[in-house]
Amino acid sequence: MNKWPLSRRAVAKAMLLASAAPLVMNLEALAGSSCADGIVRIAGIAAPDTMNPFATWSSSWPMYFTYDALVGVDAQRHDDRRGFAKSWSVAKDNLTWTFKIWPSMKWSDGQPATARDAAFTYNYLRGSIGKPDELNVGYNNTGGLENIESIAALDDETLQIVTKSRTRWPVDNYTLMVPEHIWKDVSYAEARSTFQNKPPLVGTGPMIVSEFQPGQFASLTPNKYFRAGRPATAGMTYRFFNSADPIAQGLKSGDLDYGMSLTAAQWEELSNDPAIAVGESRIEQRNYLAFNTLSGKGAGSTKALQDPAFRDAIGYAIDQKTIVDRAFRGHADPGVGLAMPVTADYYSELSEIRRHFDLAEAGRRLDAAGYRDTNGDGLREDRDGNPFQLELITGTTSGVLEIPTAAIQLIAGWLEQIGIPVTVTQLDSGALAARTAAPADGGGGWDLLVSAGWLGPSAHDLLSLGNSKLIGTSNTSYWKNDKFDKLLSEADVTVDLKKSRELVDQASRLIYIEAPYIMLCYPFLLEAHRKDCFQGWGTNDAVSMWGYFPFDRLKPAPTP
Amino acid sequence: MNGGGTSRHIGRIIIRAIVTLLMVAILNFILFRVIPGDPAKLLLGGARTSVTAEQIEAQRQNWGLDRPLFPDQLVDYLSATVRGDLGYSFKFRGRHVADLILEHLPATIILVGIAQLTAIVIGVMLGIYAGWRRGGTLDNLATGTSLLLYSTPSFWVAMILVVIFSTSLGWLPGYGAYSPGGTISFVDSLLDHLRHLALPVTAVALGLIGQYVVVARAAMSDVVTEDYMVTARAKGLTNGQMLMRHAFRNAMLPVVTLIALNLGYVVAGAITVEAVFAWPGIGGLTVEALNARDYPILQGIFLLLGASIVVANLVADLAYGLLDPRVRQ
Repeated sequence: MNKWPLSRRAVAKAMLLASAAPLVMNLEALAGSSCADGIVRIAGIAAPDTMNPFATWSSSWPMYFTYDALVGVDAQRHDDRRGFAKSWSVAKDNLTWTFKIWPSMKWSDGQPATARDAAFTYNYLRGSIGKPDELNVGYNNTGGLENIESIAALDDETLQIVTKSRTRWPVDNYTLMVPEHIWKDVSYAEARSTFQNKPPLVGTGPMIVSEFQPGQFASLTPNKYFRAGRPATAGMTYRFFNSADPIAQGLKSGDLDYGMSLTAAQWEELSNDPAIAVGESRIEQRNYLAFNTLSGKGAGSTKALQDPAFRDAIGYAIDQKTIVDRAFRGHADPGVGLAMPVTADYYSELSEIRRHFDLAEAGRRLDAAGYRDTNGDGLREDRDGNPFQLELITGTTSGVLEIPTAAIQLIAGWLEQIGIPVTVTQLDSGALAARTAAPADGGGGWDLLVSAGWLGPSAHDLLSLGNSKLIGTSNTSYWKNDKFDKLLSEADVTVDLKKSRELVDQASRLIYIEAPYIMLCYPFLLEAHRKDCFQGWGTNDAVSMWGYFPFDRLKPAPTP
Repeated sequence: MNGGGTSRHIGRIIIRAIVTLLMVAILNFILFRVIPGDPAKLLLGGARTSVTAEQIEAQRQNWGLDRPLFPDQLVDYLSATVRGDLGYSFKFRGRHVADLILEHLPATIILVGIAQLTAIVIGVMLGIYAGWRRGGTLDNLATGTSLLLYSTPSFWVAMILVVIFSTSLGWLPGYGAYSPGGTISFVDSLLDHLRHLALPVTAVALGLIGQYVVVARAAMSDVVTEDYMVTARAKGLTNGQMLMRHAFRNAMLPVVTLIALNLGYVVAGAITVEAVFAWPGIGGLTVEALNARDYPILQGIFLLLGASIVVANLVADLAYGLLDPRVRQ
């Protein structure tokens, strides 16, 4: 007898059982969605690889929560967000800096945290300069220390830094302060590579990394010795993702309390959820169009790229406002110069020299510069008589610096309209880095680049796009200008903020007129947090990008 | 086949496997270095301050990338691989590649293993039955659905599952292998893990089920028209006897090949599905290593993948012999 056919009754039973499964599985809420345990769950697009700040750039979050910078960006922008130092001052000679460390501060293991630890951190780095294992590869690195005469703890609460020449480095550096009693026995060779600094870490921040699973998450526990008092939350979990999709899902399902690096579409969808508050942070990111200004090895397909008049004309064919509105759905500021609005000390509208979007004007300027359509085929020719056919390369440099395709399409479309056809090549981060490397390293050979960068707010970093010493790294257009370099050198040894502003402004105007770059926009970092479990988030920018605010002051929300 | 012949046959297979793996190892070395991208530059990719050429060079020296590719790096790599040393990861700052692979392998084996077993049982049963009852309602339904599942990218299925069961209904977690944080009992932890497994396993299994149904049905359709099946019916055997004694074993030949080959791919996991679910397996590690141009990890993973496929082929050869006496002769 054939036993194979399923009876209707058996099928009905199976279906009933299957339909009950979700109910059974949902008997308790998702393990991660409960407010009851008091743990703040956050997520971002990140790939931390080690908890050793001397070996990596990839782990600033979650290390920010555990370690303090001496001053740091946050402390200079917000009076209520100090770091390892409570206050600081500079002598009239503009060379001697004095930092007062918080009195009676402790590391998370209960040991005293003093000016000696800060001196150790800096001198540990300084001691490696010039050695085979110099600590120059990680977040804590020797950059800027070559200009230091001495760093010493005058007593437990006083740190003195004496510089060789005038510089704002003592307050502008982001070095994370580490405890001497943990690091004094770590060799330079280990510190720059293999030392994993396994959790639990020892820091002075509000939350201490207690577990770290690369590619998955970091768990943090409250620091009971935190100088402002033990945080009111029970801890944190920071989850790492490669894309924003699971972050948006986690916020909706209640599995996450805070998420960042959202796309505009996700952000707008989340803004309709009454349990969620959305925010956007102005950050130091700038998205730009770069011209390959090289001549000789690595040069682009036409000499026109080396001509400031050609580049200037192209600037009139780029509508920053439309890029912001259509490619970023309004979540960006239109691009102007090197400084972005968040760097309020340096930002300028460049009103009197600023270009405006006008395709006809772009055409007129191209004609005037000798780039005409001589044969009436709709395509302009360069001065050698060759029709333009530019290659535009682009791609994602990292998870949070994604370039929207719409922006590329808009730019290609505008250039097409002024008789300059463009072919677009999309590359992954590795290939993009290879093609934008210095010509000596095999880079170049492209014409246009749409890319993004996110560095710090210091004058030095703001001017990095034009720094001839950074050709092949930050300076992707390969542009060299002696006057610009001189202004940069001056800014590097200027303490006075007013003077620093003037120098940055001059350099910004110079590079704007020369136009090796056309700034497209300064995107916002899109973020969202749930309202049901915790309170105390920031208002518009919910979370600091340079420190641990507000995770030192979040509180469980009152139960309704 | 006599004993000596069998030994020679097995010896040949083993030598072939070793040569294949050596070729894989050399190919791995070349293949990943052909991809444009400088690991040293990518290691500094997250820098929040301007990076100098000196810093990039320091990274190159740190990881031995400043030495000539041929012969230095290749010879070092091959001699270490022969000794069973897969080297150190760049991205994970000097951690042993073998340790990293062993950390990520269980998650992938659990995910893809359960999905494979589920798919084999459901897919083969459905396929065999559909082939046995060709033209019936179940056959039409199973074949149509299977073709649809077979041709649908698994990452897309995964996304749809997340949207329905995680985001909209909130029944199941949409990412990760377990909920971090908090101290929970072993039983709760196991249940939590099973709930995290549900969607990724379903996503991988659905595609595989389609594959198995299509292959098993085609094999069974061929078998039922064979002369020996007519003879069996003439001898008065029941449907069940005909199916189990004659049709099933013969129909299983191509299915076993597919199973064996698929088992070889268990190690590779389901890279796209792992990416969707942020599953902490080999797939996720591969993506991270590829983005960082972490040559040692990539070499290690692909060597392991090569070895698993070679072993799977060996198993398929042996299973064939067990199922089909003609192969043994």
